[in-house]
Amino acid sequence: MSRYIIRRLLQAIPLLLIVSIILFALTMNLGDPLATMGGRRATRPADRERLTRQLGLDQPMYKQYLYWLIGNDWERIDLDGDGEAETQGTRQGVLRGDFGNSMMKRGQTAWEVIWERVPNTLLLMIPAEIIIITFALLIGIYSALRQYSAADHVITALSFIGYSTPIFFFALISIYLFSVNFKRWGLPSLPAVGMFDPQVGKTTGQVALHMILPVLTISFVSIAAYSRYIRSTMLEVMNQDYIRTARAKGLHGRYVIFVHALRNASLPIVTLIGLDLALLLGGALVTERIFAWPGMGRLFLDHMQRMDVPVIMGILMLLSLSVIVFQIITDLTYAVLDPRIRYE
Amino acid sequence: MRNLKWSVMLIGLLILSLVLAACTSTGGETTTSPEATTAVEGVAPVEEPGGEEPAEDMAEGERKIATFIWTQEFDSLSPFYTNMWFSQVTRQLWNVWAWDYDENLNIIPVLVTEMPTEENGGISADGRTLTFKLRDDIVWSDGTPITSEDFVFTFEMALDPANTVNSTYPYDQYESIDAPDPQTVVLTSAEPFAPWEATLWHSLLPAHVLRPVFEADGTLDNAEWNLAPTVGAGPYRFEEWESGSYARFVKNENWWGPEPNIDEIFFRFVPDDASQVAALQNGEGDLGTFISWSDFPTLESAGLDMRTVSSGFREGWFFFLGDEQIPGHPALQDVRVRQAIAQAFDREALIQDVLLGLTKPVETLWDDTPFVSPDIVPWQYNPEAANALLDEAGWVDSNGDGVRDKDGVELVLVHGSTTREIRQDTQAVAQQQLAEIGIGLELQSLDSTVFFASYGENGPTYTGEIDIQQWSDVTSFPDPDISYWLCSEIPTDEYPDGTNNFRICDEELDELFRLQATQTIPEERIATFHQISKLMHDQVYWFGVWDDPDGWAIGPRLQNVRLSGVTPFFAITEWDISE
Repeated sequence: MSRYIIRRLLQAIPLLLIVSIILFALTMNLGDPLATMGGRRATRPADRERLTRQLGLDQPMYKQYLYWLIGNDWERIDLDGDGEAETQGTRQGVLRGDFGNSMMKRGQTAWEVIWERVPNTLLLMIPAEIIIITFALLIGIYSALRQYSAADHVITALSFIGYSTPIFFFALISIYLFSVNFKRWGLPSLPAVGMFDPQVGKTTGQVALHMILPVLTISFVSIAAYSRYIRSTMLEVMNQDYIRTARAKGLHGRYVIFVHALRNASLPIVTLIGLDLALLLGGALVTERIFAWPGMGRLFLDHMQRMDVPVIMGILMLLSLSVIVFQIITDLTYAVLDPRIRYE
Repeated sequence: MRNLKWSVMLIGLLILSLVLAACTSTGGETTTSPEATTAVEGVAPVEEPGGEEPAEDMAEGERKIATFIWTQEFDSLSPFYTNMWFSQVTRQLWNVWAWDYDENLNIIPVLVTEMPTEENGGISADGRTLTFKLRDDIVWSDGTPITSEDFVFTFEMALDPANTVNSTYPYDQYESIDAPDPQTVVLTSAEPFAPWEATLWHSLLPAHVLRPVFEADGTLDNAEWNLAPTVGAGPYRFEEWESGSYARFVKNENWWGPEPNIDEIFFRFVPDDASQVAALQNGEGDLGTFISWSDFPTLESAGLDMRTVSSGFREGWFFFLGDEQIPGHPALQDVRVRQAIAQAFDREALIQDVLLGLTKPVETLWDDTPFVSPDIVPWQYNPEAANALLDEAGWVDSNGDGVRDKDGVELVLVHGSTTREIRQDTQAVAQQQLAEIGIGLELQSLDSTVFFASYGENGPTYTGEIDIQQWSDVTSFPDPDISYWLCSEIPTDEYPDGTNNFRICDEELDELFRLQATQTIPEERIATFHQISKLMHDQVYWFGVWDDPDGWAIGPRLQNVRLSGVTPFFAITEWDISE
């Protein structure tokens, strides 16, 4: 098993390198980070020319990638534009743990910018994922066991509604219903934006209260999709001979469902969850934006708009690494769930 | 049993994450002001923090806290590392401009005793030297006096190549800076620099804090102060900034001006427009900005005070005339065609129907300022006059297809803008109205990153692909200076950063624009701009569609709010909260 894990991790190194080259080429073509720099007017030509040189944006793409990967402290650069490289480079490169400085938030490294948001994203996404998995399992299994019953039809209808509702629409509807209209009607209302009310302060209660609507929004759509998937895999397993055999042996119904059926149905579900967990760090782009939740999704959008390559690359590489790690964990989980699978 | 264990672990994890989020001051890290009220080591403050009761000792319920909703989070709080309006405006709370502008654009000296003029000797006879006299009672928030040394340091840091500042303007217009005494700053330029009043000293760096950083690091690029400006010079001082969430400013106990009524100001970052409206309706914010026209009625009915404040932006049509290198549409070379277009588009009706009557048409980029010629006759909607002008210019519908033509060229123009909804609506109205006088419009609606792409990137506004561009722009407001009508600004392969993407080179206009940039006597400059504005209006080099003021929403708790289009928070100390 250990050899398998080490082998997979070693295989990940060239994979990450190739991924980084592709992502870097793509992000470099997103646009001009100096076009307006967040201002309401275009950057003055003289400043654009100076900053292009100072920030190393005048270098060819392969060289900028090399700087990102291995740094530029091995050569001198021309900061004052006199044509003479007089200043020693200071970047160490990703391979030495330096993701570079954020071009948007000058004074912070890309890693610092990203790391600030990770706890907020996990705070939002972990409860949402727990709710999604729990409710999707319950609804999916219930629906599968009562195939074509009235309850199954109702769940199916609701699932399709949930699955086909755009997440931004559900988010805005929930804000207007539970925040704006509930308050107007004199009912207890939920906060619409942020992590806490500044008038009250950042208490556990405030954070929990502000989590309700975004978590609900993320969960709603995903539960609908997951429950359909679980229903179909459960139905497939429930029709297998070994389930009939288990029942014929006189095993208790629940035991058959949860030990024999669910365990065998869980392999494809684990694959799905494995992918989802890997992307937890990416946050929820739309939900975080609408509910003004300070997570990774919003960070990515904000820095994407400003073409902040060091931060964008940092986030994307973190997600790539996360996908690889969780795929290994998923593969190991297969072995736990299915004794026929062995990694020797 | 094993399932139960897992459930307990998961619930425990959830509770733990909630507790951690609440107990730490941040979800991640918060940039805070660790010594905001204490003096910098080695520098003796001139006085102890103010005699008023420290804010921290007050009961939470007694504190007046205002929440402002910002739809964009600042990138930096340092004046040199941001171009963002949201940061520049916030700076007025904690790092005041040397002078403010009130709601009528009158100047209010803040750090200086008076504005330099020729009469008081502040402007030299040749217009090249400016002398500023500083107040002698101004101090940083840590109690250290603000002196001319801070001005010199600010100037030097803007121009030092070791700092990758966003802009060196306007400091790069000057040759030298001198500080003959702690209360005097002297700037000298090679040529008189007319826009100094609107562009100089929008911020100040505390030399006693940042000089040691610069000396140690060789640059200010990575200074902690950029994101946590612990020492400032406004009625409020920086307290904390949690990335993506909020920034908090509290009363500056060492502020020398009138004491603010509001104890704390939170800037809450809400990036989505619809969410901002919901939060304002819900009372989760006391102030909102950049409210779209269509949301005005909703917020007004929710009890918010809706205001429009001009910050000098005007929405207009820019005509691509082209030149030998990149030719424009032949019809647009004739001023009569441009004048016909100006009279064929009913701006009043558009503003009433689409913009809910909340703004007005404009004639020049300088409307409502002294720089507009009084001789300008506004363009009126007059399709008959437009038809007559086109006939006179020789553009007639010779082939009966409903579109005018001349020498085999159809009068079909490409009208391009960004995907902003209001612009798309305007394009549709323009297409319909110009069709009535036989001008065909092909519409292009492009993402702003594509629309505003540069010459080097073959941007559509540079290549001649778009004949009429619609967007909103501003001069160095409230200064009238604007550089992109100069012939020298026409972009070429040798000068791809040129801003005159319309390729308009009018020698008379060019000369006038060059002249005004050096005129430091206001009356003379106004006279020049009267000629500029009249020439540009009558030649229809730019056709103003609507005044594009900033929309502000003021919640019912906020009182005494006065807003300026240049320095919105100039009267922040008067603002109050009433429950």
